[in-house]
Amino acid sequence: METAQRITPQSGDLILMVGTVKGAFIFRTDRSRREFHIAGPYFKGMEVFSTAYLPDKNAPRMLMGVKSQHWGSTVNWSDDFGASWQEPADGNVKFPAASNLSLNAIWALEPAPLLGPEVVLAGVDPAALYRSDDRGETFHPNEALLNHPERPFWMPGFGGLCLHTVLPDPRDPKRIVIGISSAGIYRSDDGGESWTRRNTGIRMDDAGPPNAPHFRPQCAHKMRYDAKNPARIYLQNHPGIYRSDDGGDSWIDIAPGLPSVFGFPMVAHPSCADTAYVIPLTADNFRVPIEGAAKVWRTRDAGASWAPLGTGLPQHDAYFSVLRDAFISDSLDPAGLYFGTRGGQLFASADEGEGWRSIADWLPAVLCVKAQVIA
Amino acid sequence: MRFHLPSALRRWAGDKEIIEISLPLDLRMTIVEAFEMLARDYPGIRQRVLDDQGNLRRHVNVFVDGENVRFMEGAATQVTHDSEVRIYPALSGG
Repeated sequence: METAQRITPQSGDLILMVGTVKGAFIFRTDRSRREFHIAGPYFKGMEVFSTAYLPDKNAPRMLMGVKSQHWGSTVNWSDDFGASWQEPADGNVKFPAASNLSLNAIWALEPAPLLGPEVVLAGVDPAALYRSDDRGETFHPNEALLNHPERPFWMPGFGGLCLHTVLPDPRDPKRIVIGISSAGIYRSDDGGESWTRRNTGIRMDDAGPPNAPHFRPQCAHKMRYDAKNPARIYLQNHPGIYRSDDGGDSWIDIAPGLPSVFGFPMVAHPSCADTAYVIPLTADNFRVPIEGAAKVWRTRDAGASWAPLGTGLPQHDAYFSVLRDAFISDSLDPAGLYFGTRGGQLFASADEGEGWRSIADWLPAVLCVKAQVIA
Repeated sequence: MRFHLPSALRRWAGDKEIIEISLPLDLRMTIVEAFEMLARDYPGIRQRVLDDQGNLRRHVNVFVDGENVRFMEGAATQVTHDSEVRIYPALSGG
């Protein structure tokens, strides 16, 4: 057990859980979101790729996917708002010997309340999906995905062969959508017994690997459900921005109107239908804001049109990038938006992206941000 | 055999700096087998020194009697009842 700094949020407060390349931080504020109080660092010197919050009012729990460059990766949990963190001595996310794989990093932690209040899903590198039935203390791999016949064709990107996005369907407990770089989007409709690639309509110019030229590996960067229509999914792909209106069966190009097709995160508004946000970067080979001007772009019509939001963001000499899990919304009204940069800034908007300000300037490179209103 | 632990691993061994285990005088085993044996009482050490496939983690250096096993026989390096095993996290930058 590691002891660390505790925060003391009140009911109705908002917390931001921020993972960086050198530890994690927790920001606390009230519903006004005027003042943010920072606590941490937790897991000093370690990479925190993922976080989650289990909002049981009587026993809330924070989870963090922590990687030590020396000692490996584990899911850690805190039941006292960061005062102490626990991890099992013998680890909790492990590949079976027969897989010939070893865990690198835990990219995604996603509660799945429709599967049970204790259930947490984890996406990891190398690409695999794990399930916990005890609130993140122990995990077991999804065998169908682990032994997927297309696995030999999957290729790691710069970030590794990571399963970074896990979307449990909010209506159907049997359906789960996942994103893997570089393999693409897969979906299970039978509770994880089988997985089918769902990349129809997504442009891919390159041929597949030599062992499977017919296989067009996709690099999904981030997907989010629409606030009102769970059949609608927004996708920031490596090249391209798409929308699916049929749960991933097919994808429609919604990039026209944006200044670039490249970026990492995708955020859906927490309560307004058809509303989503992206942060376009210049290009694959120059991953910074276009012409050094940081802008968030918003659609309010499911991608038919886009408009820039930059008030308060640096509009010159801004050469940072924003990683796929480093942009998030809260669930308040008006919605708050938050993104962290690889330069260590954390920007916040309390008015749906109209105005922005920096709430931290000197963090390590930000890997992930999650927002949670305390019950 | 004695295992000398770096400070970061001592929490998994009751804050001990050195773990000593008794072995038969004629017993020989590999360094990986030694860590697997250590895991019976100290699973947290094995978990952090070996990966899921039982290989030495990339950024962990293990020395047997003063020699880095990477320059010996790696995971197959032999240890005996009187081996001194030292674990060092690799120095790294950034």
